[in-house]
Amino acid sequence: MNSDDIVVRKQAYIIYISFIFLLTLLTSCSSQNRQAGYIYYRLSTNPTTLDPALIVDVTGGSIAAKIFNGLVKIGDGLDIVPDIAETWTISTDGLLYTFRLRQGVRFSNNREVKAYDIKYSFQRVLEPESKSPNTWVFEKIAGADEFLKGRSDTIQGIRVIDDNTLQIRLKKPFSPFLKLLAMTAAYIVPKEEVKKWGPDFSSHPMGTGPFILESWLPNREIRLVKRADYFDQPAKVRGIIYRIIPEDLTAVTEFDLGNIDILTIPASEFSRYRKDQTKNKYIASIQGLNTYYMGLNCSRPPFDNPVLRRAMNYAVDRKKILDTIYEKRGRIANGPLPDVLRKWDMPDHYEYNPEKAREMIRDQGLNGITVNFYITAEQEIIDMAEVLQSYIESAGIHVKIKQLEWSAYKEAINKGEADMFYLSWWADYPDPENFLFPLFHSSNLGAAGNRTRFKDYTVDSLIEKGQSSINERQRDEFYQRAEERIVDEAPWVFLWHRTDFTIRQPWVKNYTIYPIYSMDKGTEISF
Amino acid sequence: LKTYLIRKLILIIPLLFGITLLTFTLTKALPGDPVLSMVGERAQPEVIERIRRELGSDKNIFDQYFGYVRLLLQGEFGRSYYTNRKVFDDLLLKCPNTLKLAAGAMLIAIPFGLLFGFVSAYKKDTFIDSLITTVSVAGLSIPVFWSGLLIMLFFSLKLKLFPPSGTGDIRFLILPAITLSLPAIAALSRVTRTTLIEIFDMNFITTAKAKGLTEFRINTVHVMKNALIPIITIIGLDFGSYLNGAVLTETIFGWDGIGRFIMEGIIKRDYPVIMGCVIVGTLIFVVINMLVDIAYHYLDPRVRLHEDSR
Repeated sequence: MNSDDIVVRKQAYIIYISFIFLLTLLTSCSSQNRQAGYIYYRLSTNPTTLDPALIVDVTGGSIAAKIFNGLVKIGDGLDIVPDIAETWTISTDGLLYTFRLRQGVRFSNNREVKAYDIKYSFQRVLEPESKSPNTWVFEKIAGADEFLKGRSDTIQGIRVIDDNTLQIRLKKPFSPFLKLLAMTAAYIVPKEEVKKWGPDFSSHPMGTGPFILESWLPNREIRLVKRADYFDQPAKVRGIIYRIIPEDLTAVTEFDLGNIDILTIPASEFSRYRKDQTKNKYIASIQGLNTYYMGLNCSRPPFDNPVLRRAMNYAVDRKKILDTIYEKRGRIANGPLPDVLRKWDMPDHYEYNPEKAREMIRDQGLNGITVNFYITAEQEIIDMAEVLQSYIESAGIHVKIKQLEWSAYKEAINKGEADMFYLSWWADYPDPENFLFPLFHSSNLGAAGNRTRFKDYTVDSLIEKGQSSINERQRDEFYQRAEERIVDEAPWVFLWHRTDFTIRQPWVKNYTIYPIYSMDKGTEISF
Repeated sequence: LKTYLIRKLILIIPLLFGITLLTFTLTKALPGDPVLSMVGERAQPEVIERIRRELGSDKNIFDQYFGYVRLLLQGEFGRSYYTNRKVFDDLLLKCPNTLKLAAGAMLIAIPFGLLFGFVSAYKKDTFIDSLITTVSVAGLSIPVFWSGLLIMLFFSLKLKLFPPSGTGDIRFLILPAITLSLPAIAALSRVTRTTLIEIFDMNFITTAKAKGLTEFRINTVHVMKNALIPIITIIGLDFGSYLNGAVLTETIFGWDGIGRFIMEGIIKRDYPVIMGCVIVGTLIFVVINMLVDIAYHYLDPRVRLHEDSR
């Protein structure tokens, strides 16, 4: 070895050591990564927009609930309670709604909310240039169609009486109307801000809610800061930070390090947290207002045959799937409606009975036919589909699974290309109507919700009667009969209702998990 | 050199035109309609029709393409179908992150890759050589989503040194950069080794030894300089591909770069986003290639660019 070499080695050592030193210096702040007073949530996807007129996803809806208010909101008992409206009256014919607004409700630009803001916000959803997919929320209002088609420059059915009074007239009685007004699309927006930002209102939302959007770095984080002058009970935390973390395992690591306060438990981690004695007392759960189902295309053979559809329901052992694969994170669906929304008894009509299923299929002469089964290409769904496939195959029907990307999948099932498909429905508002009408009424074939293309005159008329009856007892009776008929006709294999689980850090206080995303205003939670 | 650069720059225009046309037709040929994802689970056909009209996706594909080119000529990339945000603004937000990650990975990969390659070649056919070879083969074949998670669990959860995810200063950068550098280190050390072994056997090295030059001088000046051409090619290729986004690394570490942006665009069929990313990606590749060519120009007299024009 010569002198050159030694000098160079020494230099290399010095560089190496200083590099390590620099690293330690840089990282002395550790893996902790948070700001005091803020509560941290994880989102798995970036919400697409925070403009209430455009929001269709749960993520966007749950954030908008903290920035905006509607006339009314959903209370803890899934009933309708005042929000911006203080009181309201409904005429005896169920057509005219008169709202009295609460005084002193201000947008975060400090302007007070007046009745014309309500009219503006509702009308805006129906304006073509808003490109809102949520027009259906307001279609029950008299004059909505004329406005939508450009035949009128205002919605006749919405009248501003004075600064604090607003009247809404419906085309015909619609019993869940107030629940529609609690939806994201019916949040109140300030006209001047919408005009100022134009299409960028999506990323600069402003409302009357308990929080203000402080910053939004798409795909990184959304930061909300508390409003001290909120008209209702103000938030107890300084703000909320939503971190967008697509990968489940990463989110779990962040939670274990204390960088996330509340985490919806990913399926793969459920049993680990449940078995962890120190952590499992911080797990909360809620029966979600959802129904998972296997849709059967009723518009063409072979599933235009109701006997075959019933046989499919007998063929699947839902209890076993729930107990094993789902690790009991759900309940068996006895019909399309979640139990919470049902005021009547609905026994399980299709207890697992493989012999009966095989027999029914053989009697129909359909033994050995092949059907296609469309699913999205997500691992959890693929696994589930393979289990369902094996049950149906053992009943005598060949199943060909077809995996598609979400947008291609949606196009295919909307068009009715699939014989069978796997899908779920999540309530927008807590009412049986929100399941029965979009999913089973024949006016909603395809993209509007009825993807099994189920057409039944009796069901149609029962749903319509339920929608328009003002008497609650009568309404429930119509809905019950509609549900029973649907279960008997079996356009779906009714699978299960999923239960959601979250885990929180020990330092989080007053945390509640809600059945519908819009109920959480973020004002209860504290440290 | 100057004429070469000018000619290359002019060539970009037809190249971009071709690339946009190709991407546009290919993405449109894919099944799946973005409007259906935009409208949610409950949308009447009239609403879908109306939104299609608003977006112009009811027109035929040529009109759509020329509409897009017209937009580009005005210096606009359009707005994302879903977020309504300007694609250009989002690209401006994400490009620096991607650049940071790619540069970070290369900063780790180049010294380590060269070092391993050099040691491996120098100690050819010894235990160290086969050890490095084995590790490099492993480095090339271990998928990033696995090595990334291991790195995260070890450095974040066990040692509590770095935050596991997020986009920000160097603390956030280190783990994804290490993850991303692993395959590059492996590739680089393989190429360095092969090249060096070839050069060690060449006559001019023997000459240099005969001249009595120190081993260190031979290795740094004579050997390395001659080995640089294939090495720079590899570095250029890796760097170029990293600059176009590293989807898996970005997803695992929640790094907000181009990779996740284009991936989400593709999944949701967000055409303006896809097009914007492809155009930027093409430009990046062209620039990197030009830089590599320029490096050749200075390193090797045999590939001097346009000798005649000087």
